[in-house]
Formats: sequence, structure tokens, C-alpha cells
Amino acid sequence: MTAIIQARGLTRHYGRFKALDGIDLDIPPGRIVGLIGPNGAGKTTALKAILGLSSYRGKLSVLGKDPSRQRDELMREVCFIADVAVLPRWARVRQIIDLTERLHPKFSRPRCLHYLAATKINPNARIKTLSKGMVVQLHLALVMAIEARLLILDEPTLGLDILFRKRFYTNLLNDYFDEDRSILVTTHQVEEIEHILTDLIFIKEGRLILNSSMDDIQQRYCELMVKPDEVHAARSLDPIHERVLFGRHIFLYDQPDVGHLKTLGELHRPSIADLFVALMGDQDSAAAELENAA
Amino acid sequence: MSTVSLGQLWILLRREVWESPISFKWAPLGLAALIVLIAVVSLTIGARMDADMAFTLDAMRLFAEMDPDQKRLIVSGLLFSSTVLFFQLLPFIIVFYLAGSLFDDRKDRSILFWKSLPVSDSMTVTSKLLTACLTIPALFFAAILLTHLALLMITSAYALMAGINPLAHLWLPASLPRLWSVMALGMLMQGLWLLPIYGWLLFCSSWAPRVPLLFAIAIPAALSLAQHSYSLISGLRLPEYNIGMIILRRLGSGVLPGNANIDFSDGLQNVEFNESLFMSFTTVFNHLLKPEMWLGWLIAAGFLYGAIWFRRRATDQ
Repeated sequence: MTAIIQARGLTRHYGRFKALDGIDLDIPPGRIVGLIGPNGAGKTTALKAILGLSSYRGKLSVLGKDPSRQRDELMREVCFIADVAVLPRWARVRQIIDLTERLHPKFSRPRCLHYLAATKINPNARIKTLSKGMVVQLHLALVMAIEARLLILDEPTLGLDILFRKRFYTNLLNDYFDEDRSILVTTHQVEEIEHILTDLIFIKEGRLILNSSMDDIQQRYCELMVKPDEVHAARSLDPIHERVLFGRHIFLYDQPDVGHLKTLGELHRPSIADLFVALMGDQDSAAAELENAA
Repeated sequence: MSTVSLGQLWILLRREVWESPISFKWAPLGLAALIVLIAVVSLTIGARMDADMAFTLDAMRLFAEMDPDQKRLIVSGLLFSSTVLFFQLLPFIIVFYLAGSLFDDRKDRSILFWKSLPVSDSMTVTSKLLTACLTIPALFFAAILLTHLALLMITSAYALMAGINPLAHLWLPASLPRLWSVMALGMLMQGLWLLPIYGWLLFCSSWAPRVPLLFAIAIPAALSLAQHSYSLISGLRLPEYNIGMIILRRLGSGVLPGNANIDFSDGLQNVEFNESLFMSFTTVFNHLLKPEMWLGWLIAAGFLYGAIWFRRRATDQ
């Protein structure tokens, strides 16, 4: 099947600042892709280009359409939740539902009401009187009632409590996701989405640092909690990152000889957060951390 | 335009009313209530001074004996003048609405929601323009109708007390169908006449980083001042063609009935209060024949194109 998102040399400059510096990207259907990066890395810029909300250079095709020219057509197949509270504050809940129903050909009112019934949202309430969590619930109910092929989430759970964040992703997985659809999500709360992702992209200073499936990542990267007397041996094997936890050295390797590593200590799958720090972390602070530990 | 886009346009127009119920609905209704209240209060005070209402009822009877032409001029003229306040308020509401229309959702970031719907940017801009040209005038017009009906009913009560037939002596001379249709047409024509100004406001609303109204006023004011200074220095004097004068004249010669085509060249004393001021279809339609009208549309098209261009690139700030 053809890619849902295909980008070649996607570039966006703000003056001299390169927000996106020639990105190549392919996202097939049926994937949940995490786009992870530090602040100002170009995540939102990339999402905005994909949604047709900003101009760009390079080639970009989303569901076979050019987002910068065909945003309105594209939005029949693409849904988007930005960080909380972008629903118009003056509107009442039922007005927003009416509007979406009349403006979106693929919106199903019964499904939306079904999702809303599970919440405490009153259809006559004004959006500005709802809590942050309720606004996100409402937006999610609207979006899940749309038969879209691509869902884009930009920090969807920012400022929400843990219970709510858990429920958000559970709903999304159980009621929405299937093999024809793809979800592209950015967040700083990496550990929350770790177990639902099929693909992972790291972005830094407008470039992709990592772009592969979770399966490949688990094959490729390996974390070693080394025995105290084997530290030097482990360090000589070209680890991509080293950190110290409770006095024990932990090394991260890219495509290591697993058999050999086993003799030096315990092997783990690295978490996304650890991988993130290893691949993206700024080297100076990592070195300082090591020195403090030593 | 397909039925789908017409359906979209309809809900987008309703959306604008949902967003601004105070200025679109409650302001004209409040004004209607105020005018009726003033009428009631002055009649009550009048009744107090006029012990047995003998004076008032006599006046009613005298009025009933007047010439039909004069009766028509008086009743429809009074009804028309009761609407002047509406026509004063209407432009303010429209100007403030247009200046904020493509700016407010950028400021509160709800543009991200609107842009996530499959609605084209030209459709969005069209819905704002039609709200200014049709929806707001239509709601004001409805309030005017209510005012007229209320005023006529109150005076009918007095007519009944004086023993005259209110239908024959008040409602018929009011010539409501004609008065109302000239008024409705006048309001539509005013929208067409002011299109370049509306377009300019939408244009500013679409790109201004903050307070679009300020930009919308400051830019032409600065241009006008620059032009004026240049003509002072260069000796090239074309005061008639100063851009500020052109804009002010356009605003001043709005084409609402009553504000139309008065020829001041013979001095003010020659202006007579007659029906052609507010009851004439020809006066209203004559505006369509003016080249300035057509030129204005051309300018408006340019501004609207610009507004859509900026809207296409707009996101949250």
C-alpha cells in the first residue's frame, strides 16, 4: 500500500534558522509513529507542513495530496489535535458538534455522542467553562467520530493528570486505531507512549537522528549494566553512551556483539528515554554527569 | 457552487451569529426596546399634562382629516426617522466585527481547530464577508420591523380612543411594504457600496499581528498625511484626490435611504423633506450606475484576494 506521508528534502527556514533541514520521511498505513525531539527541534514545524498550515520547500505528499495547496481536501482524511484548548472558547458543546457534522463529510454524530456519554461533559456547556481535561475529551470524541486515515497529535496530553493521560491513549488504541490508519504523535512524555508506538523518529535541529521501527530499534540497541570490574572492557567496545546509576555503569551500544556483552554484565532493552538521552543529549552535560559520578 | 459548499456556507454563517450574539442580536433588539420605551415614556408624560387626553385625541382627529399624501409623508417619515439610530449603530458593529473576524481565532489559537476542518480559506473569508453584508443587516432589519410594528400598535391604541380607524389612517399611510423594501434594498446597497472598506478591514484582519483596527485606520491615515505633505512641498495640489478624502467621502456618502444623493450645490435650504429621500427605489438603484460603485468592487476584489492569501498561510501566533 502507498505511504500515508511521504517527504523528500522537506525544508523550512525562518530567516537563517533552519527549522527543518531536508527531511526524508515515509509513513505507511497502520503505524503509530512517535516524533520525539527537544524543544525547538522542528517537531511542530514538521507537523504544520504536513497539515498544510505552513509553507515549505522540498517534496511533501500526504495521502497523495499537496498539503500547501489542498489543505481543505486533505482535512477530509486527516484529523488533528493540537496541544490543549484550541476549540473555540465561545462555543457550546452542541454547537461544536453541529458545526463539525455540517462541515465534515466523514463525521458520525452517533459515534461522537457515544464517546461523550462516557464523560461528564454537558452538551449545553460553553467550552470556556470546561476543564482542560474535558476540552481534550471533547476534542478526542469529535476526532474519533471522523473516519480519517491519518491522525496527528501535537502534545495532546499537555497539562493533564496521569489518569486522564492513560485513558486518552487507551481510548485511542482500543476504539480508533486499525491497520488502515496511521497516527503521528509528538510528546515530551515519551514513557507514556513507548508501549503503543510501532515506529520512532528522533528529530534534532531540523534533522532526523533516528527513524526506524520499534522492532528494529530493539534489535539494534542494547543496554549493558556492567559488572564493576569490567568497566574498562565495556568502555573499549565503543558504546554510544555511558551513564552511572547507583554507582553502576550503564553502557548503551549500537549493534553490539550480544554474546560477548553477556559476559560483561546484565543486558536490557533500552527505554526510549534512555535512547533519547544517548542519541540527542548534549555531550557536555553527559560528560559533566560522568565526572560527578566518578 | 455545489450543495455541499452551500450547506457549509450556511452553517458558517450561523457560526458567526453564535459567536457574537451580543452585537448581532441583543444590540439591535436592545435599541428597538429603547426606542419603543422612549415613545411610551413620552406618551405617558404627554397624557399627564393633557388631563383628559383631549388635546392628544383632538390632534389625532385633525390628523385623520389631513390629505392622504401628507398623512403618508408624516407616518412613513416618522417611522423612518425612528430607525436612524439603527443606521448609526450598524456600521460600528460591522467595522468591529470585520476587524476581528480573521484575527480573533489566530489570537486564541482556535484557528488550529477551524483549519482542521475541510473548509477552504476562501470559503472562510466569504462567510465573514457575507456576515457583514447580509447577516448583520438582516438582523438589524428584523429589529427595525419590530420597532415599526410596536410603534404602530401603540399609536393605534390612541387612534381607537379618538374613534378613528387605525387601519385606514395609520397602517395604510405607513405604506409598510414599500418603506420596508426600500430600506432592505438600501441596506444591501450599502454593503455593496462599502465593499472596498469591508475588503480592506478583512485584509488587515487577516495579517495584522495585533489590533487589526489600528492598522486598518493608521495605514490610510498615514498615506493621506504623506500625500498631503507631498502636495504641500511639491505644489502639486489635488486635494480632491487625497486618499483620506476619498475614503471619508465614501463612508460619508453611504447609500442608506435618507443618506442618499442629496444635492447640496444650491445650499442646505433647498433640501426638502420629501419622500424621495427615503422612499424611492430609483435613488437606491441609481447607486448601481455610478462608476465609483464598480471601481469599489474592483478594489474590494483585490483586498479579498489578499485576505485569502494571508489566511492560507495563517496559523496560531
